[in-house]
Amino acid sequence: MRADASVTVLAERFHMTLTGMKKHIGVLEQAELVTTEKLGRVRTCRLGPRRLEEEAAWIENYRQLWDARFDALDTVIEELKRKEKRDGRKKRG
Amino acid sequence: MVARREGEPAPTRNRTTSERRSDRELVITRTFDAPARLVFEAWTTPELFKQWWVPKSSGATLLSCAQDVRVGGSYRLEFAHPTAATPMAFFGRYVEVVPDARLVWTNEESADGAVTTVTFEEKDGKTLLVMRELYPSKQALDLAIEGMDGAMPETFEQLDEFLLARGAGAEGI
Repeated sequence: MRADASVTVLAERFHMTLTGMKKHIGVLEQAELVTTEKLGRVRTCRLGPRRLEEEAAWIENYRQLWDARFDALDTVIEELKRKEKRDGRKKRG
Repeated sequence: MVARREGEPAPTRNRTTSERRSDRELVITRTFDAPARLVFEAWTTPELFKQWWVPKSSGATLLSCAQDVRVGGSYRLEFAHPTAATPMAFFGRYVEVVPDARLVWTNEESADGAVTTVTFEEKDGKTLLVMRELYPSKQALDLAIEGMDGAMPETFEQLDEFLLARGAGAEGI
């Protein structure tokens, strides 16, 4: 499951002690893979900015792939436009 | 530089946008300086489709392309890539076909494939193309992002090089 979770819930899920899980989260937090926030007695963990940056980078790569495709599509469409002009749209009647 | 005829507007490069619009959906947009029927024709005619779908910079080769563009009709694309031992196939079915306006198809190469919707909206002789890829769940889209990141680094690196080289050229560096 992918969702915000408390340290207690994570410790249970991974069959670790609370102290062990706190250490793990501390390391992940330093690497900006996780952020935590303490509300009352519960510390909630969520994915950190590094993960979001990776997703943003992927979406930018994806954009560039489509951008290259669409540039090539522009060329095909320009050719269709020229052909139509030449044929005077006779074929489409 | 090629001389441009008078009265003909200088072509400006149209911008492609991409965004993750929700947990399950990716959206790509782009405007084309042509009526919708020509954009649609280039998208649905295999001989034309082959000319633009695979960017040269990707290193991939489109081996075959079959498109039976009607509701319930199927499509199949096969690619070769230097880093892949065997050809990769992408296939599915057209769910909606509205000539010059809208295409919806499934992506059935994986169980968690998206449903892709492309709309062609014509205004003042230009066409706004909006492509939505709706995944069955947030997990499916997350996995697609993680999976593609791992599976296609070379492709994207080549694409990056190509785009950087071209960007630098355009700026006259």
